[in-house]
Amino acid sequence: MPTVVVMDVSLSMTRPVSLESSEEFQRKNLAVHGLTMLFEHMAANYRLEFTSLVAFSSLWELLVPFTRDYNTLQEALSNLEDYDKTCIESALNGVSNVVQQEWGSSCPCQVVLVTDGSLGIGKGSLRHSLQTLKQRADDKKFPLPFPFPTKMFIMCVANSEELQTTDAMDNLEELLRLSGGDGQIFTMEGQLCLKSVQAMFGRLIDQAYSPFHAVLHCGNLSSDVQVFPRPEPVVVDDEVDPMPRVVNTEAEDVSTGAAEEPEEEVSASQMAGKSPNFCVLLHGSLKVEGMVALVQLGPDWYGMLYSQADSKKKSNLMMSLFEPGPEPLPWLGKVAHLGPISEAAENPYGEDDSKSPFPVQPSIKRSYAQNVTVWIKASGLQTDVQKILRNARKLPEKTQTFYKELNRLRKAALAFGFRELLKGVGDLLERECTLLPDSAHPDAAFQLSHAAKQLRLASAGDSQYAAFDQNIAPMHTDFSS
Amino acid sequence: MKMFSVAHKTAFVVDHCPYMAESSRQQVECDVLTKSRAQGVIPLAPVSKSLWTCAVECSMEYCRILYDVYPLNKLINYIVSDSEFHILNTWRQEDQSTHELMSALAAVGPPNPREDPECCSVLHGLVAAVESLCKLTELQHEQRTVLMDTAERVANRGRIICLTNAKSDTHVRMLEDCIQETLMDQNKLAAGSDRLMAIQQCELVLVHIFPMGEDALVSDRPKKEISPLLTSEVHSVRAGRHLATKLNILVQQHFDLASTTITNIPMKPTLNVCEQEEQHANTSANYDVELLHHRDAHLEFFKSGDLHMAGSTSRDSGLKETVTLKWCTPRTNSVELHYCTGAYRISPTDVNSRPSSCLTNFLLNGTQAPGRSVLLEQPRKSGSKVISHMLSSHGGEIFLHVLNSTRSTLEDPPSISEGCGGRVTDYRITDFGEFMRENRLTPVAETAPNPGGRFPADRAKAQLERYTRYWPMIISQTTIFNMQAVVPLANLIVKEALSEEDVLTCQKTVYNLVDMERKNDPLPISTVGSRGKGPKRDEQYRIMWNELETLVKTHAAGSERHQRVLDCIVACRSKPPEEEERKKRGRKREDREERPDKNGTKEPEDRAWQDSERLKGALEKEEQESEVIKDSPDSPEPLNKKPRLAIEEVQPSEKAKGPVSLLALWTNRITVANSRKHQEFAGRTSSVNNKAELYQHLKDDNGMDVHENGKASR
Repeated sequence: MPTVVVMDVSLSMTRPVSLESSEEFQRKNLAVHGLTMLFEHMAANYRLEFTSLVAFSSLWELLVPFTRDYNTLQEALSNLEDYDKTCIESALNGVSNVVQQEWGSSCPCQVVLVTDGSLGIGKGSLRHSLQTLKQRADDKKFPLPFPFPTKMFIMCVANSEELQTTDAMDNLEELLRLSGGDGQIFTMEGQLCLKSVQAMFGRLIDQAYSPFHAVLHCGNLSSDVQVFPRPEPVVVDDEVDPMPRVVNTEAEDVSTGAAEEPEEEVSASQMAGKSPNFCVLLHGSLKVEGMVALVQLGPDWYGMLYSQADSKKKSNLMMSLFEPGPEPLPWLGKVAHLGPISEAAENPYGEDDSKSPFPVQPSIKRSYAQNVTVWIKASGLQTDVQKILRNARKLPEKTQTFYKELNRLRKAALAFGFRELLKGVGDLLERECTLLPDSAHPDAAFQLSHAAKQLRLASAGDSQYAAFDQNIAPMHTDFSS
Repeated sequence: MKMFSVAHKTAFVVDHCPYMAESSRQQVECDVLTKSRAQGVIPLAPVSKSLWTCAVECSMEYCRILYDVYPLNKLINYIVSDSEFHILNTWRQEDQSTHELMSALAAVGPPNPREDPECCSVLHGLVAAVESLCKLTELQHEQRTVLMDTAERVANRGRIICLTNAKSDTHVRMLEDCIQETLMDQNKLAAGSDRLMAIQQCELVLVHIFPMGEDALVSDRPKKEISPLLTSEVHSVRAGRHLATKLNILVQQHFDLASTTITNIPMKPTLNVCEQEEQHANTSANYDVELLHHRDAHLEFFKSGDLHMAGSTSRDSGLKETVTLKWCTPRTNSVELHYCTGAYRISPTDVNSRPSSCLTNFLLNGTQAPGRSVLLEQPRKSGSKVISHMLSSHGGEIFLHVLNSTRSTLEDPPSISEGCGGRVTDYRITDFGEFMRENRLTPVAETAPNPGGRFPADRAKAQLERYTRYWPMIISQTTIFNMQAVVPLANLIVKEALSEEDVLTCQKTVYNLVDMERKNDPLPISTVGSRGKGPKRDEQYRIMWNELETLVKTHAAGSERHQRVLDCIVACRSKPPEEEERKKRGRKREDREERPDKNGTKEPEDRAWQDSERLKGALEKEEQESEVIKDSPDSPEPLNKKPRLAIEEVQPSEKAKGPVSLLALWTNRITVANSRKHQEFAGRTSSVNNKAELYQHLKDDNGMDVHENGKASR
């Protein structure tokens, strides 16, 4: 999940922290110290995540666009300049722009807002922004909630006593609530010093940036893996199932099917790579065989593993998470009902891999796959009637199609209670009968008048002739002699 | 959407009273005369649908769309009302199909205009609908059973859609009051019943249908709360096209649907398969097809607010919004995995129109199994081409896939070779491919017998466990899996149950190996990287037998027949053909004799191989510590030598005598059996060759080399 670090560079951040010791620190120095710690942690444990740095005062500026290069971020941090007053609203507008331009609006994002708890004065202050929340024109809406899923972490370089003397805490809590409630406000404990700022960022790291380690099992083979980005807990239905689902760290590999849907990435890291690792073996074989492996992440939660290659030569093992549920991909059926092929009487993939038991067909075909009759538009009805007439003129060659179309129309008309139509089509067939050219086969006339008679009987509503499941059968004639 | 939102249960109540037999006065010309035949033929008078026909066909269309997009758990109960109510189906899943409903409707037939209007009313149906909403659906029942103590989390909500011809606003109010009353009564009844559930929320959607050219006697009214239980809204619509549009909008609102119009669908010869008859329409026009699907497929547009940029247009006097996406001519290689973030079922709005059926047939037919797919792009004014969606079919169903069209956070992943184990080059990739093939999954019918009451997936996992009890990952770690001669045994031994024939095959394999040993055939032991010529021939066989024994031992507890295969190996290998060879090699054999015995004293079988694995691991570590790179041709091949050395150093002396007698074999087994009955000394379990080292931590501190003992004590 990408992170935007939003750094307050207003003048208030330069306030000195009164310290007994010789050196004099500004709050900014403490903030920079904390962020350095965060960046170092990420460089070591989260090097695949993207982070960007935005600085703000009354204006905002994107100092570092999203990058995995933590040195650049570090450098930008050490070159911060001081500006005027705090204006959080404009900064949040900036974040919204930056994130959407880069990742669109469906990619979840973490926002780390670093400030000193003095939230500006007058127009543009957070207090003012929140007070005028409801009196905005459509084009000047408050940027929260962001269109993308957000986790907001507010790092206050101030202790909670200090924040309580003003309404800063209330305003920050309101801000968090507006962002969707996912996140936390961190304040410093005790004296403002390097130690307490470290402690505060340490708590942030534990909360939001702890690496996700898991074990991938395939029977007795297993491998430690780290997953980027961290799979987040999911609430499926807050009424029936209000507990969020969490990915089990013991992921179980349930072998293969065939599907698609990328989302997450597994990557082994650390330690030099000399001892054999199951992930590498699995990746290699999946790649060579062109297969994917099904992986179970928890009760009724599945995903798949496959080899993902970018345009270059590099490829890695990817894990995609499916929607939690017993049947995430309908064309695989219920995952719990996938069994080993050794149980099947004959290999469902064929001896030469020429077939596949997938996709599983639904028990009832969808409307577009079953030639349904819809007459909502006049053209639908006209087409169906014309189809019958066209076939009627080609009797007896088209006897089968003629009756098939006729019966389709009859069924629909009976269901819709559209008896007038049955009578009308009966009349039409009768007319066609009179219009038959002399050269016509005698059978044509017989079939037409037979069909017309049957339709009329059905239109009268007589249960004997108007049964839905009954079909009009072709009249048995014998002109072979 | 919650599992049990109002959308879970929909009761359709359609008025079947005599006045519904009235004509809608919308005429349909179904006799379209072609010019050549026009002379002298009197065209058929246009037909017109009754109010009933209009109501039924529009409600069927509502159901069709619903079932296409939600084949499960969005249920419809269809009720017809005249002098009494007729319930045409139940909440059961198997009753949920348009075919079932059409069949039932045909049995009901059109309203009888001669029936006494006094005793007919839609009220009968509405009362029945409320009663029906109190009944449990299969899903509600199932979830209540699953949740047990928290069964109250299963809610009961529902919607009633009433298609009728009301007389006035007062009449409508009367209907509402009556539903409210029935709700209260039914809830009281449900409170005292196990098979009924009280209704927590009911939404009434009353659609007043009147013929063309008449004035509406009932006025439209947006949703309003009648009571905490009941909300009601009234729609007053003309029969025919207007009613169809209204219900189409309603189904979208009720089930969170949205509309996408696929534009620029080319008319290609390949697409023209669906309708050879209508060749006159074979123009080169580009078609548009409108599809309905869950609105989450448009999430990206909604959120970024560029619904209009994506080509949204309003039609039907602003009532309906659709997002336009452009067809991209399909490429031939469809086996690509796209970065897809969601897949949603679709239903064409105009299902049997020619363009619709051309599109759906194209997607469904394709090259059979995987179906065809079509990429869709957002029409943008600037030249940039953004592909945001894909249409594709899976098993006879068409899905609209959402593709990621912005930068991905997963871009540029590191190569797997940069990670753990990435520099090892002799993985058994092909063998594991074969392994995966054997462990592929297949759908198992739910009715199939279920051995042990387990799900098929559990049996698949059990199979994986068996197949991987001994599975070396790299070629240089194994001998037996590099030998063609072992294949029959290796394939059979992993099976859950062996037949007599299987045991025979395994035994034959063993005899065959004995034969090879006697003939002194070379073994495919990797000599690459070993100093000199590698291990001697008899040493190679010793390694091979050890490995084979390890493999079989992990399965021996499975059944008596598995055990017999192990017995066969133990018996055969302990009888080397040449007597003097045996004497000379006495000490060596002793140690392999000793190993099973040692392992046997340690708890169940599967522990044994893990231990030997651990030993191997420890040895490998030694290797690494001594800076050996396996792939280099000049470095020694340590695996084959080291175990021997490591074990030989600590040879138990009292056993180093001659061949093993039958008595010795027997005593061993008894000892093994006895040892299972008591807990082993900690020292012995972590011992190597029955010697446990004391004060190991001192040794560690002194930085001396670490082997198994040291490791186990950490």
